[in-house]
Amino acid sequence: MQSLSATSAAGVLLDLSGVLILLLAFACLGSKLFNRYVAYYGAQSVVLSFAAGVAAWAFHSVELWILAVATLAIKGIGIPVSARRLLVQRLDLKRDAALSTGLSTSLIAGGALTAFAYLVTRPQLLPHGLVAAAVVPLSTAVILLGGLAMVVRRHTVAQLIGWLIVENGVFLGAITLVATFPFIVEAGIFLDLVAGVLIMLVFVSGLTRRLASASASELRELQG
Amino acid sequence: MMVLLMIAVAVGPLAGTAAAAFGTPGRVAGWAGAAGALVSLACALWLLGAELHRAPLLGWGGYLYLDSLSCFFLLTVAAVTLLASVGSVAYLSAEQDAGRLSAFQVRLYYVFFGLFAALMLAALETGNLGLLFVLIEASTLASAALVGLEARASSLEAAWKYVIISSFGVTIALAGTLFLYYSASGLHLAAEYRLAWPYLFSHAHALAPQSLRLAFLLAVVGYGTKVGLAPMHTWLPDAHAEAPSPASAMLSAALLNTGMYAIIRFLGITHARLGEAFPRAVLLTFGFLSIVIGVLFMIRRGNFKRLFAYSSVEHMGIIAVALGFGGLLGLYGALLQTLNHAIAKAVLFLTSGDVSLRYHTREAAGVRGLLAAVPVTGGALLLGSFAVLGSPPFGVFLSELTIVRAGFATSSPVFPLLLLALLAVAFVAFARTTTSMVTGPPPGDRPDESKSGSHLTAPDPLSSPGTPRGRPGGVAAEAGGVAVVLEAAPGEVPEEAPGVAPGEAGPGPYRGRAAGLAAIVPLGVGLIALLVLGLWIPAGLDTLIRHCVAVMS
Repeated sequence: MQSLSATSAAGVLLDLSGVLILLLAFACLGSKLFNRYVAYYGAQSVVLSFAAGVAAWAFHSVELWILAVATLAIKGIGIPVSARRLLVQRLDLKRDAALSTGLSTSLIAGGALTAFAYLVTRPQLLPHGLVAAAVVPLSTAVILLGGLAMVVRRHTVAQLIGWLIVENGVFLGAITLVATFPFIVEAGIFLDLVAGVLIMLVFVSGLTRRLASASASELRELQG
Repeated sequence: MMVLLMIAVAVGPLAGTAAAAFGTPGRVAGWAGAAGALVSLACALWLLGAELHRAPLLGWGGYLYLDSLSCFFLLTVAAVTLLASVGSVAYLSAEQDAGRLSAFQVRLYYVFFGLFAALMLAALETGNLGLLFVLIEASTLASAALVGLEARASSLEAAWKYVIISSFGVTIALAGTLFLYYSASGLHLAAEYRLAWPYLFSHAHALAPQSLRLAFLLAVVGYGTKVGLAPMHTWLPDAHAEAPSPASAMLSAALLNTGMYAIIRFLGITHARLGEAFPRAVLLTFGFLSIVIGVLFMIRRGNFKRLFAYSSVEHMGIIAVALGFGGLLGLYGALLQTLNHAIAKAVLFLTSGDVSLRYHTREAAGVRGLLAAVPVTGGALLLGSFAVLGSPPFGVFLSELTIVRAGFATSSPVFPLLLLALLAVAFVAFARTTTSMVTGPPPGDRPDESKSGSHLTAPDPLSSPGTPRGRPGGVAAEAGGVAVVLEAAPGEVPEEAPGVAPGEAGPGPYRGRAAGLAAIVPLGVGLIALLVLGLWIPAGLDTLIRHCVAVMS
């Protein structure tokens, strides 16, 4: 199995992008403005596409190059731009008031989840000296932070961004842990993501037209 | 040849999608979809016949794979698709005639219904666990459109909850797939084969145990979200209650099983590498939690579609428990239970569609005297609920008995006894609601009768306007129905149901004889199938299930 050592140039770059991605996830968790959510998600995806480019360069893999370009085009540019146009601007979203906990509480919980991610994945799972051993806990932490954002935020748009962050975390793990994931599968995952975002956009705007605000805290009709 | 058949199975339901996409009227698209589903079921049966006498089929680098286990699930899903497609024709055209759905919405329904079925059937035919994830996630998206079809605030809310929770869950399953792939990095296989189930299974001894353990846990949590295992089940009752009834039937009887199929594939590999104890602990925990949650919420009276949905949570829990017990009996019981539950739940949800079309409510409290007012629907509801609860003459009884026996054979007697106790509570809770819907005098004689009467007059050429439906034979039918239940000899009712149908219940919300038949025939066919499975397991099915168990061990 080809795997990068942690001290090679590509390994260091991947590690660095992993840290940046985690920091951007924290930034998103600590923000209250819809504009910022989208901006942080876009920045995170750009860093992710850079990481995919590094992996492609290290493994000389054409498929990973395609993936890096697709990540940049769709996740880095396409989704943030359309989310801003179709959701934030058209629905005139500014401050997210529908948080179930304060920002500081959710940041502390995020820190605890990051520590948990290290506890779970670090010890026996991965051999030392590989870049994967450093990045997989990071990607696990990003997944958990995205999940936390989905739980803490009650606005549908914020939940959508949370899911996209989870997806980014899984992708980060995929490119470092198993750089040779079959291409058909990767492409399929990408298609699912795009279709998912489209369908969610429809639901969010439909819900917003029905209710005054598309906050999931107002979704109280179905209980029990 | 086999490959062509496999493609035909998956492509069959797309007939309805294509017809609707090219702008044919909804009813035509519906019949096209039903015909496609019939082709699909026929091809699945053919594959099954061929599969029993040969080695598993593997092609296209492991992307295409068919063994007995996939055949079994193909058969289940294809059968449910056929029942639900025929039911769709009746339900959707009635909704459209009543003006609750536009022609565009009906076409949209058929487009996504076909897509949904095709994606699930395709998911069962791939051996690549990565592609399995892709197809299951895609089927989530296709079915989300069905859940939100009616575009009321509550159905959009349910669709949102469904799509966001399921997508999140399935993403967790993707992480599990990743760890499985990583655990295979010691194997010298080409990249595609490292995700191909048959290779992973035959090389299970060389997988890295730590990451395989994590992979299994993530897969159970992730795909368990789709299956509706507690505590990840929260989307399920909402989505089932808000979707059009035939789509609820597909969700409950096909989608949940597809998720369970993915878990079974992971279970096979984990079992081969890590032994019994770990997967058993995981599956028994989630299984019993689901049964308890399902039963507790079934006690609450309210929306009857939610009741059926919680019963699905309970049954998925039972299947997980059976898989946890393991061994020949446990796996046999789990698969038999899958088939029986699928048919019974499809019948129940189709019946619920009929009931909500007639009574314009989904609240159990608003429905009384079904047996007197509409004997066929009432009978189907009564028999269907006894079937799903595991009353003796039906198939579920046999499979639950097998599961309990498996429990006594493989683990401490606490678990099977607990299972029996929970089943008893479920019986009381579920039957309490459905029997009160079925029995009693028909709803508020004057006002409601006149309302449905005026609803009937315009469209229906078959019934003379003022005739109270089924009134002459009402009392007799009720008495007959009760007697049938008491004698536990329901064999005659489902058989005569299709015959009685067009004359008696045709004048319901359906316009024309074909739609009325389409509403009734799936119920009759499903109940007969359940009865047959309860009295006698066909030799072919027995061999098939034994082959499935052999595939897994």
